[in-house]
Amino acid sequence: MTERSIRTIDSQVMTGRAGRLRLTSKNPYVPRSAIIREITRETDSVSTFVMSFIDELENNSFSYQPGQFMMVSVAHQGEAPISISSSSLQSDFFSLTIRNSGRLTKAMHSLKPGNVIGLRGPYGTAFPLEEMQGRNLLIVGGGIGMAPLRSVVHTCCRQPDHFGKVSVLYGSQNPGELCFQSEMQSWKEAGVDCRLIVDAADNGWQHQVGLVTDLLTDEFRPQKKKDLALVCGPGIMIRFVIQRLEELGYSPENIFTTLERHMKCGFGLCGHCHCREKLVCVDGPVFRRSQLGVLEDL
Amino acid sequence: MRRKQWILHKDHLLPFLRKLRKSRSLVAPVRNSYGDTMYTEMNDLDNESIELAEQPQNSLKSFFFPQREKLCHYSVDEAVGDSAQAYRFYPSLPESRAVVYFGVRSCDMFAVMYCDTIFLGGRERDVYYDARRRNALFITLACNHPFENCFCNAARTGPYLEMGYDLQFTDLGDRYFVEVDKARGREVVQQWPQFFVPAGDDDRQAHYQAALESRGLFRRQVHVDLAVQLLDQGEEPQALLAELSARCQDCGGCAFICPTCTCFNIVDQPLSDDRGERVRTWDACTFDGFTRMAGNHNSVQIISQRVTKRFYHKLRDDVLRHGRSSCVGCGRCVGMCFGGVDIVRFIDGLCAADDKRSEKREDGHD
Repeated sequence: MTERSIRTIDSQVMTGRAGRLRLTSKNPYVPRSAIIREITRETDSVSTFVMSFIDELENNSFSYQPGQFMMVSVAHQGEAPISISSSSLQSDFFSLTIRNSGRLTKAMHSLKPGNVIGLRGPYGTAFPLEEMQGRNLLIVGGGIGMAPLRSVVHTCCRQPDHFGKVSVLYGSQNPGELCFQSEMQSWKEAGVDCRLIVDAADNGWQHQVGLVTDLLTDEFRPQKKKDLALVCGPGIMIRFVIQRLEELGYSPENIFTTLERHMKCGFGLCGHCHCREKLVCVDGPVFRRSQLGVLEDL
Repeated sequence: MRRKQWILHKDHLLPFLRKLRKSRSLVAPVRNSYGDTMYTEMNDLDNESIELAEQPQNSLKSFFFPQREKLCHYSVDEAVGDSAQAYRFYPSLPESRAVVYFGVRSCDMFAVMYCDTIFLGGRERDVYYDARRRNALFITLACNHPFENCFCNAARTGPYLEMGYDLQFTDLGDRYFVEVDKARGREVVQQWPQFFVPAGDDDRQAHYQAALESRGLFRRQVHVDLAVQLLDQGEEPQALLAELSARCQDCGGCAFICPTCTCFNIVDQPLSDDRGERVRTWDACTFDGFTRMAGNHNSVQIISQRVTKRFYHKLRDDVLRHGRSSCVGCGRCVGMCFGGVDIVRFIDGLCAADDKRSEKREDGHD
């Protein structure tokens, strides 16, 4: 086989970071085609897209960890970073939960099952699954920030014996913006303690009203020194939740958060995702609180 | 021991470059018809003249990382009958040409080394940069006469290089003192030994003298090390940054002219409904949209922090990530910015504030 033909195959089929199988002479900018298998409408503006790669080889070699993200290409719209929202234990498919909030995501929401998008990745750091083994987990999400945390929740649901007590505190502006409501019953059945809160309730709302920090009562003080807290949501919410978690007794080593930034490459070159001296795409998006310093510019 | 120092007589320079050009393209500083000196690809050595007395207005950045380049083209085919929809990417890698870069200034050579770290030393190798960079030969020119805005002495990138070049030329009047660093430079000397005679003690003495004199000719005193140290100690000159941000006109000139500004944007440019190009373009962190996300959320306060990333990145973040500041001291941003928002202004302001504090402290002791 000539070098040219290898490169051709490489560029068409095997480019990108194919999970564990890292193939040589690859072009990290070339997306691989993936097909939308199923779309679940979560809220008026959020849907979960269940995806798989068109190429079977690609599917077999693809692996990721909760917290990592993909660079998503939609025809003519460029690329955007999107967190993976499914459990890494699930093999054939993976999910992306996307809010319709910009040009690319709007185009994404116009797609139907059977449509094709381009994907590169997975990129970035992950929630520390190994460190999480056997520990109690407090998962705090706000709005669309629940998407990467869902990946952790699904992992916990599939392997309940591997973790201690798992609690999910999830808040949004109003009940219509809470994602994953249809599957929360199954989370509870798997032993996850789920608490919901909204800023502004409607008539049918049976849970608390307020900010997600209001759920962080003394009940959620760490039971053991090694209990972990995982946080994702808007920057301002992350900041106040982390402050509250520290008041409750979580050490900065045991709080994890995942940040959102504008990104173009996903692997540390384009410079867009800086957060002080860190690049969110390679040093994050999942950070230990102790890595972050002041939280004003999240 | 392999000899590393040679003499090339100036009469032999053009014949030597002609030989090099037989198997390579030649890029050198050329004065164009507007009177501007630019690193330019030379097609005609007889009618274009190499200009070594002026600082080239551009750096070498665009030769390896063009201002606009196509990464791939893509096609979108709608589903027809049994065949599914298709959305495919076809990368277009540049050819890897052999190029000799002649008359490269020390700061510009240093900038290439920095770009290598960014594009080739990370998690993923940038194959586009690599293709252009792989077969480059660098013949640098030590600076005997620093230009008006130069401060490479303070940035520790010049005026003479100690490493990183293939060949370094030093002008000794009627001849060039030639030093060899990398293997590719050694091969050139071996391939055309007729141009090179071994340097003698007199030449070495003249070279040493020229280097010494050059160090004394800088007109600007820029305290790069102190600025790096202050930022490392956690200094955050908010008022200075806000003042400079207010003066910034968002033109991006500083980033584009900077030999080490490598931030880029990637966009799709549709050519028709079913095909288009994915293009990479230079970007500037001072631009409004640089950090703006969908939904208009921006982690940077544009009015007061527009220029923060630029200065912090060069003087603090790159020190933490790569062990040294990435300002090479070429002074181009000083000449470029009509608002006076250049890195020298920032460094001066940062150090002046520190001076004031020291004076206060001393007064306090008295």
